[in-house]
Amino acid sequence: MKKEKTSLLKNSAVQSILASLLCILLGLLLGYIVLLFINPTGAWDAISTVMKNFFTYPSRPAAMKYFGSTLVKTAPLLMCALSIQFAYKVGLFNIGAAGQYVAGAGACLYAALAWHMPWWVCLILAAVAGAALGALSGLLKSYCNVNEVISGIMLNWIALYSANLLLTGVKEPASPYTNVVANFNSSALLPSLGMGKLFTDNQYVTIAIPLSVLVAIAVWVVLGKTKFGYELRATGYNKDAARYCGMNEKRNIILTLVIGGALAGVGAAFMYLSGYEQWQCTQSSVPAMGFNGIAATFLGGLDPIGTIFASYFIQHITSGGAYVDKTMYCSQISDLISSLIIYLCGFVLFFKYFMNSRIVRREERKSLKEKEKLTADSAAKTEEGGRK
Amino acid sequence: MLLLIQYTLIFASVLTLVALGGCFSEHSGVINLGLEGIMVMGSLGGALAMKYLPAGAPALEIILLVVLCAVLAGMLYSLLLAVACINFKADQTLVGTAMNLLGTAAATVIVKAINTAEDPDNVSSTIQYVNAKKAFIVRIGSFEFNWFMVMAVIVLVLAYVVLYKTRFGLRLMACGEHPQAADSVGINVYKMRWAGVLISGMLGGLGGIVYITAGVSEWKFETGVAGFGFLALAVMIFGQWKPIRIALAALLFGLFRALSNVYTGFDFLTALNLPSSVYNMLPYIISLVVLAFTSSKSRAPKAEGIPYDKGQR
Amino acid sequence: MEETYAVEMLNITKRFPGIIANDNITLQLKRGEIHALLGENGAGKSTLMSVLFGLYRPEEGTIRMNGKEVSIKNPNDANALGIGMVHQHFKLVECFTVLDNIIMGVEPCKHGFLQKAEARKKVVALSEKYGLMVDPDAYVRDITVGMQQRTEILKMLYRDNEILIFDEPTAVLTPQEIGELMEIMRNLAAEGKSILFISHKLNEIMAVANRCSVLRKGKYIGTVNIADTSREELSHMMVGRDVQFEVTKKPVEPGKVILQVENMTVASKLHQNKAVKNVSFQVRAGEIVCIAGIDGNGQTELVYGLTGLEPLESGRILLEEQDITRTSIRRRSAMGISHIPEDRQKHGLVLDFSLEDNLVLQRYFEPQFTGKGGFLKRRNIREYANHLIEQYDVRSGQGPVTAARSMSGGNQQKAIVAREIDKDPELLVAVQPTRGLDVGAIEYIHRQIVAERDAGKAVLLVSLELDEVMSVPDRILVMCEGEIVGEFDPKKTNVQELGLYMAGAKRGAEQA
Repeated sequence: MKKEKTSLLKNSAVQSILASLLCILLGLLLGYIVLLFINPTGAWDAISTVMKNFFTYPSRPAAMKYFGSTLVKTAPLLMCALSIQFAYKVGLFNIGAAGQYVAGAGACLYAALAWHMPWWVCLILAAVAGAALGALSGLLKSYCNVNEVISGIMLNWIALYSANLLLTGVKEPASPYTNVVANFNSSALLPSLGMGKLFTDNQYVTIAIPLSVLVAIAVWVVLGKTKFGYELRATGYNKDAARYCGMNEKRNIILTLVIGGALAGVGAAFMYLSGYEQWQCTQSSVPAMGFNGIAATFLGGLDPIGTIFASYFIQHITSGGAYVDKTMYCSQISDLISSLIIYLCGFVLFFKYFMNSRIVRREERKSLKEKEKLTADSAAKTEEGGRK
Repeated sequence: MLLLIQYTLIFASVLTLVALGGCFSEHSGVINLGLEGIMVMGSLGGALAMKYLPAGAPALEIILLVVLCAVLAGMLYSLLLAVACINFKADQTLVGTAMNLLGTAAATVIVKAINTAEDPDNVSSTIQYVNAKKAFIVRIGSFEFNWFMVMAVIVLVLAYVVLYKTRFGLRLMACGEHPQAADSVGINVYKMRWAGVLISGMLGGLGGIVYITAGVSEWKFETGVAGFGFLALAVMIFGQWKPIRIALAALLFGLFRALSNVYTGFDFLTALNLPSSVYNMLPYIISLVVLAFTSSKSRAPKAEGIPYDKGQR
Repeated sequence: MEETYAVEMLNITKRFPGIIANDNITLQLKRGEIHALLGENGAGKSTLMSVLFGLYRPEEGTIRMNGKEVSIKNPNDANALGIGMVHQHFKLVECFTVLDNIIMGVEPCKHGFLQKAEARKKVVALSEKYGLMVDPDAYVRDITVGMQQRTEILKMLYRDNEILIFDEPTAVLTPQEIGELMEIMRNLAAEGKSILFISHKLNEIMAVANRCSVLRKGKYIGTVNIADTSREELSHMMVGRDVQFEVTKKPVEPGKVILQVENMTVASKLHQNKAVKNVSFQVRAGEIVCIAGIDGNGQTELVYGLTGLEPLESGRILLEEQDITRTSIRRRSAMGISHIPEDRQKHGLVLDFSLEDNLVLQRYFEPQFTGKGGFLKRRNIREYANHLIEQYDVRSGQGPVTAARSMSGGNQQKAIVAREIDKDPELLVAVQPTRGLDVGAIEYIHRQIVAERDAGKAVLLVSLELDEVMSVPDRILVMCEGEIVGEFDPKKTNVQELGLYMAGAKRGAEQA
């Protein structure tokens, strides 16, 4: 019985889950403490509102509807998280996912509104735009030795201003927002295949949600089961060894960032082609989706399947932030909590190390005890023998 | 033209301060990607000081207190990086990124809470400091001279002297180049890295307050500092981790950043009729191009980014 | 009459998870003597010295200096007690000057500002007194390994250390430089300094030491007077059995030319000059050719050029008469080059992969292991891994799924050797294949290399160990400053002659 327990704790998947849960708990706790400082009376209500999200609606249909909305935003988040994760396996930190997401948004909205393209063309163009940005980072990394984090950040801003510039051509005359896709070109909306009905006629629920889960599974398969994934992981763990055995490191770096960029670009298409949001052409900060993806991917233990759940959780609390009592707190407290969680994810390795060393120590103590018992037994036996 | 020089100098001051901050951290062996967040926190500290200082306070008092608050805020915030990356050996990229997100989120939450407490209808994340800001500015004709420019020069000279002429500088750089060697002659690597990170926090915080007082008299904290922390890192790389070169690189980048503020003042630029987004992009594009040409032979501190583990040799 | 020792380490025990690195070890160092500490890799020498230097705390045992018990908690304590150490891998900051490196940690200062002038005077005086010539203003990255070592020695002298520890100091030196180092050590001992000399090289210990303590597998074996012992006795103490110094092999029967290198020139990334200059040679089937030389004379770049890790600046490489100068690493490997790399952890293995994934690192893409659609055939990989593990006796905790990181150095190297030899190459390039291994593993790997040669393969061995250079190959090429400066038959030459060529003091036409 006891043996089973230790071996379960030794399992690295179990450790990852425990570490992630610990991050969440600590993140919520710290967030709660911040709320207490701001206004002690409503802190508990606020944090439970963030956690409840759509459950705050008493009626089941309403709750289902907003559950649907949370899922709608989970799909793009998951895609951004996968983009970062894919690159991370090759040892690259794709902070440029945020900009690739922006590029995807610009491409798909422009194609939908200016060129009146059907949804699948818009989707492909979004992927291409994201991939192009990723390729740029990859080229700079492999041929000019520019750190992908720095180039990614620069490209984020360049993408943001470019998208603003481009989409100003298709915005509503009276507002800074782009035209509503549903009114201008409904063929560009992602098909829903009747899934909206499950969520109390939430018209934003589309195939994006199942597609994103399928992509997560695909990423898992590619990384774990294929030759390509083997090469990528080898490059990520030890690029010198990868080069030594003839893998093309430069090509793999570029290819990885291209794929990562495409994933983030598609994520943007999942967002804007569902019609859930319009692009604001005067935006002066990069959308948080790409950065929240970092939280989701690390919280998911750098595992595609775990990331599905982690993405949902991050989106759940982000959406939940919208329901807090505005007279006391602002909706950014959920940003605060998710960034605290990212910070805490930095300690995951330490948590795991701590768990492992505890296990080793316990086992050593146990084996020492057994040994002592054994020697004591044999000593007792010899004594007995002597008596006889 | 004068306006362009004025903006160039003030933005160059920001970049110099923050890049020198990054320089201290990296020479000690820790990559500080959280400079952006540190700037936000520093600017928040300074802005709050300006907000709460009595209107009639003498200029010197205002300057000293505001700078002190910004430096302190930046330094306290950099503790997060130091604890995680030096003592717990966390991934420096991840922690830096988290600090940037956390900086903006926390500053927004704090400012909104303060604003809402004062006036329940005010849900903005803006702090105004029109009056206090005047303390920093000396008008010379139409040129607005800013005391922060002097501060940047002083910090530059100090940074040079500290790095190359003192025992502390020698030991600091040893920790970034070859921590095992430093350890073997009895230098406490952890301590030196803590010092490097805290100095970078102080300078980053100072840079933050300079940035938000450059040109404007109020700041909306939701926007953070628009990638300026990263521009400073680009300046540092372009400056090859050397103070004097960093200052020169900062002038170049400051010029392009200033252009986006004042391009309307130049007839030939307005004649081009480019949208403002282009000027907004310019500093980032320039830095990408510059990095592409300078990174391949970069002389970064050898051990930067690698957590130091006493047990591992 | 009881003699007081300069240092006594009494009954030291130091455990690490899973192993006892030092098991009740006692070491006594007399004033003014050169005391050798002999043992194989992994015998516990480094751990013991780390304990003395304050890097590790022992679980049991005491340290006494001049008869008084002392507590050494960190290198600072060791320094304060006058203990200094020249580490095997030099602890020098490359972008600092020699002077900066020497004073680092004990800088003369006024109000925190460095006072380098007086430090320089002291350094110059010391270097003259002990004959340690270095330029205090040169940058460490620009000076030779020998000078770097002298800088390390000056570091100890500058601190007025009385106990000097030399950890494997000769590994990177030429035979002539080794001679000079020994002269320096004798001078230091004559001045009253006490020296601990860590080595696994018997000849050097016989030449310079007064007494020698031997460790084996973490245990203390004994201490002997060098005057009363022999090389054979020492080696028996070190290994625990009689050691064969010779490698047994059949007479050489070279076949056709497998590898032909013509005028190869390779640029050096580090130093902006040419690392390999206009080098030409051949390797035939059924012979072992050894590239000998001191570390850093272009051997690494030569191998990089051969295997495709670095492009050639000029010249040609022919493998079985086919030009492979511009072909990719993967293609060269497929054409029959196997490469046992210099640094098994940097190049040879993906440490975070399992053993089985490492064993297919050179052939995972073959149809045997990758099916249609790019999916890996896990079952075939497992079978192949099990086959190699059994045939080459690779030992690990959990068989094919063991993490490579958790394996011992010897077994990691065996896994690489298995992988590279099982590829059935035409040319085996083995770079320092026995580095850091114990005698058993060294013998094993030498046997494998000779077996390849006997099977008619061409073998190019790159080695820094003179024992290996003299015993394994059929032909020796000496490399110095990027050029091949001489060719020798191991049966007709000696270490002294090779040394002159390795140091660049002599160079000449081919010599049969």
